[in-house]
Amino acid sequence: MGEVWKAAITDSFNKFLGKVITFLPNLLAMITILIIGFLIAWILKKLIFRFLQAIQFDRMSGRWGLTDILSKGGLTYSPADLLSRFFYWIIVVITLILGLNALEVAATQASIAQFFNYLPHVFASIIVLVIGHLIAIFLGQAVLIAAVNTQIESARFLSRAVRWFIIILSLTMALYHLGIAEKVIIAAFTIIFGGIALALAIAFGWGGRELAKDFLEKLSKGRDERDKERDNISHI
Amino acid sequence: MVDSDLRSITPEWMDLLLRPIYEEGFDYVAPLYGRHKFDGTITNSIVYLLTRALYGKRIRQPIGGDFGFSGKLARFYLTKDVWGTDVARFGIDIWMTTLAIAEGFKVCQVYLGAKIHDAKDPGSDLGPMFTQVVSSVFGLMGEYETLWKEIEESQPVATFGFHYEVGLEPISVNLERMIGNFRLGVKDLIEIWKKLLYSETALWLESIARLSDEASSFPQDLWVRIIYDFAIGYHKGSVHRDHLLKSMIPLYLGRVASFVKENQKSSAEEVEEEIESLCQVFEEMKPYLVEGWSKAKGGE
Repeated sequence: MGEVWKAAITDSFNKFLGKVITFLPNLLAMITILIIGFLIAWILKKLIFRFLQAIQFDRMSGRWGLTDILSKGGLTYSPADLLSRFFYWIIVVITLILGLNALEVAATQASIAQFFNYLPHVFASIIVLVIGHLIAIFLGQAVLIAAVNTQIESARFLSRAVRWFIIILSLTMALYHLGIAEKVIIAAFTIIFGGIALALAIAFGWGGRELAKDFLEKLSKGRDERDKERDNISHI
Repeated sequence: MVDSDLRSITPEWMDLLLRPIYEEGFDYVAPLYGRHKFDGTITNSIVYLLTRALYGKRIRQPIGGDFGFSGKLARFYLTKDVWGTDVARFGIDIWMTTLAIAEGFKVCQVYLGAKIHDAKDPGSDLGPMFTQVVSSVFGLMGEYETLWKEIEESQPVATFGFHYEVGLEPISVNLERMIGNFRLGVKDLIEIWKKLLYSETALWLESIARLSDEASSFPQDLWVRIIYDFAIGYHKGSVHRDHLLKSMIPLYLGRVASFVKENQKSSAEEVEEEIESLCQVFEEMKPYLVEGWSKAKGGE
């Protein structure tokens, strides 16, 4: 009886030790991966920050309006600092995933595989949003200046409309890439912008037909009067 | 080389434009005209003033459109690959004049008489003309910055031809439209301008826009600051260059309106004295440009 009891304890202890010995290399591998990963992330952050400073990234971001957006959003980091931190955290996340993978726990492995499959969609969406924002700022500014030089009083409204249209379009495309409620997003976008176009068509085409007639008559008379009022100054 | 739409050109112009080259050894002959006191506003507000202050030569009509140049200078021009840029459009005149001065060619000017064009196409737009000329001026500042930073004052150039009075047709100017355009610019473009101008300059513009049509005035030193700040901004790239140039147009129209209003009753000689006084301000404030330009470069 004593022998059986002793054997049971020894067996249990040996099994536990066996599992620890099997698990220990994985744990050590995880710790090693984490240490190296954090180190690489820190070094990469410094290198990227120095590179971005060398290419005057903060000044370019100022031109594109990114600095304004960040300060309005309450972020005090410069664009170069923010981008280098972004890459730091990407490396940290990858390090954590690799570390978890090293533990060889079956439950996490499937999730990790799904995460890596999803990552390209995340990057594509970020690129779409950034490019969309830059295009929105550029075109909004171009429309504003052109409208002012044509003496359109509602220049600012036109500029904002163009800017928001492009931002919403790029947001829609980003969400579509992420696969978040794709059909709802497409339907919502179509309904909203289709609705706006239809409302304007009805308002001007049906409700404003007399107004449109008066407007066109005034435009035609106005062009003749404007021709009479034109400068004949020679600018060059 | 002469403008293709001239009505006042005479055969004597050919002799006047070429004689200084083959008799006196000059390489570049710029025109001098008898023009209406309000004609050539881009020349009188920007190009003549900047060219004189930067490169030290008082060529009165640097973008006149009618020039004589030697074979040596023509061969030099052909070595430059600029034919796909704004230089090949409205910027060609200032490019030719600036290179002739900056590269050390012998330059002079000759009096040609009245400059009268064909009737202007009412649909023709100030925009492309303005942006192409000013972009050429600002672009050349970048190429020749070592040269113009060293020049401290301007000198007159040799002038040929007999200066005589000419009869000129009256000009109509729509001041209300110009001032309206300026006010709209201040209202909607001030945020873009603030990226290029000092805050005091932007506040100054806002205060002028609030004045009535009769009281509004565009002081000389404000105008000089604006031109220099925009030149620095163009070089620095703080705003997209095409947007920067187009956003200058309301400021230019504000300045032209103020100039026309102040000189309605002035004679041509008095207007020329006013332009000369503005040239002095451009030259006196050149250290402001040099300092701002160097700071912008230091930030690169």
